[in-house]
Amino acid sequence: MRLRPASVRVRLTLWYTLILAAIVLALFAAVYLVVKASLVRQLDRQVESEFQAVAQGLGEEPDELAEIQTEMSSRLIQVRRGEEVLLQTPGFKSSGLGPQASDGAPAWRTLRTPAGDWFRLRSGPAGRGLELMVAAPEGPVRRALRTLLLILLLALPAGLVLASVGGSIMAGRLLRPVALMAAQAEKISAESLSARLPIEDARDEFGRMAGVINGMLSRLEGSFEQLRRFTADASHELRTPLTAIQSVGEVALREDLDAVAYRDRIGSMLEEVGRLSRLIDNLLTLTRADAGAAALTSQEIDAAGLAARAVEDLRALAEEKRQDLTLVSQGPALVRADEATLTLALVNLLDNAIKYTPAGGAITVAVSARAGAILVEVKDNGPGLAPDQAARVFDRFYRVDPSRSAQAGAGLGLSIAKWAAEANGGRIELESREGCGSTFRLVLPGVSS
Amino acid sequence: MKILVIEDEKKVAQALKKGLEAEHCQVELALTGEEGFFRLCSGSFDLVILDLMLPGRDGTEILRTLRRTDKATPVLILTARDALEDKIIGLDLGADDYLVKPFAFPELTARIRAVLRRGKGDQGTKLSAADLEMDVAKRMVARARQAIVLTAREFELLEYLLRNGGHVVTRDMLAKDVWKETLRATPLDNVIDVHIGRLRRKVDDPFPVKLIHTVRGVGFILSETAP
Repeated sequence: MRLRPASVRVRLTLWYTLILAAIVLALFAAVYLVVKASLVRQLDRQVESEFQAVAQGLGEEPDELAEIQTEMSSRLIQVRRGEEVLLQTPGFKSSGLGPQASDGAPAWRTLRTPAGDWFRLRSGPAGRGLELMVAAPEGPVRRALRTLLLILLLALPAGLVLASVGGSIMAGRLLRPVALMAAQAEKISAESLSARLPIEDARDEFGRMAGVINGMLSRLEGSFEQLRRFTADASHELRTPLTAIQSVGEVALREDLDAVAYRDRIGSMLEEVGRLSRLIDNLLTLTRADAGAAALTSQEIDAAGLAARAVEDLRALAEEKRQDLTLVSQGPALVRADEATLTLALVNLLDNAIKYTPAGGAITVAVSARAGAILVEVKDNGPGLAPDQAARVFDRFYRVDPSRSAQAGAGLGLSIAKWAAEANGGRIELESREGCGSTFRLVLPGVSS
Repeated sequence: MKILVIEDEKKVAQALKKGLEAEHCQVELALTGEEGFFRLCSGSFDLVILDLMLPGRDGTEILRTLRRTDKATPVLILTARDALEDKIIGLDLGADDYLVKPFAFPELTARIRAVLRRGKGDQGTKLSAADLEMDVAKRMVARARQAIVLTAREFELLEYLLRNGGHVVTRDMLAKDVWKETLRATPLDNVIDVHIGRLRRKVDDPFPVKLIHTVRGVGFILSETAP
């Protein structure tokens, strides 16, 4: 694996060529063997038919010997009786085979002369005690086979070179989308997250991969945008009290005031400091939440009891607005949670409901159990939220009505409530219709008793 | 009363010195851990206000060394480290209280009073300011001999104001000590303002002399004279 080439294209081409080489080698070997077998069989048939013809002649006519000597002089024929050689055609003599012994039984042999020529020999009885031997040179067959082998061996590397070039071109074409994607991806940075990878064919593997990466880019772009907005909003929110402190201080310094007026100015500055400090506390809470660094102590607590306490804590606010605040609960509802953060979630939800429900409205906090979960519903009959508002209401610094910013706080309450719910293994669901009020439902995993 | 302030942030240290001197304390400043340790060894103090992140010698180290020889001198940690673990470590090492920056000065003085009061037992069940009287044990409040009916929360709030009579209490202090909220991010300021308003209606409105005053930007004070 250490020699693995870095490029997929090279790897593909190598594999491709290797497999092709194996297939072609096997094919060539098969062709060679089949051709060889067929040529040898053809030679054998030729020798056999000659043998049969001569043997028949010898068996029927005694003068045949002389006839063979003259008429078949170029053929390789030898006739013997016992040890005595009766006939050897001139061809046989010149072939360099020399007198060949035979034991009288029909036999096939392949012989090599001292000069290096190959011959195929057929020997056997030919009647009347004669022993016949017919031979044929294997030379032409061997030469043909050698030529074939040469052609095959020359064709193999040439074919492989062609195949690898073709394979490489094909792999390159197939992998082109990847190269394009890589080039495009290289250009994408935090500043240009809106760019997307090119998709040539959405149905193939590369198209699907590009689609997946594009989806990831969309999510990244979303969170970058969120971060950018958060930073912009945070600095705006931090700047507002800072500006107030600065201008109040600067103006007070230029005026000639009495002690009471100076105290008032300082008090006004301290009010802004308080706002700043509160905002930083909230931001810190959220930042810790993002970092997962909030220290939570999980213990069994009664959500109904906590809800009752939050209701009692905030009842005074509802009373100021002549709102009807009711708590509905059926006994203890045990959850495993961190008391402080759970209280934070409840108080923020309730604070939000009181803030945005008009004077004289009604708010109900209902604690119930459903399918192993504990639900704490904060329901109001206020103005409700449009779908696009409902979708953003948990976003940091989001305010439904930006003009109310002064009394409505920084718009972090619901983000904090959402985090606090999630930190305790729960979630907040929102049901809201414009004009029909909103229900924020805190869903917490219950403790089975 | 002699107080040693070990704090490396000069502006904060100077503000502490001035503020505490206004409360009739004698204040010595140490701007580094080494200096603080040296002053601790060479003098005796009624209280030490200790920052944790110090150049030279860490605050926790100073506290540890001090507690080896001196278990009595009260130590109040004043630090920007607001993690729960830091708080636990500080208190385990023998600090008497732990206050996180940014802090409100009235809260610091209230904590100092509480630390110094500690161990003296008797917190008193009868509290009073001008013609306002409170019997904590009997849960009764009266002003100019007229009984005033308060809700439980209003009673606790008034008790807290009375116990800090003449000193400003902040909303943070009230949220922590009267409403028992542990997280600063819990939005209770409006709730506190509403309760103060109600308390005023019962305790002050029927009478010519007002006792509960708002200190703008800081908090509230219970005193006969306006601040």
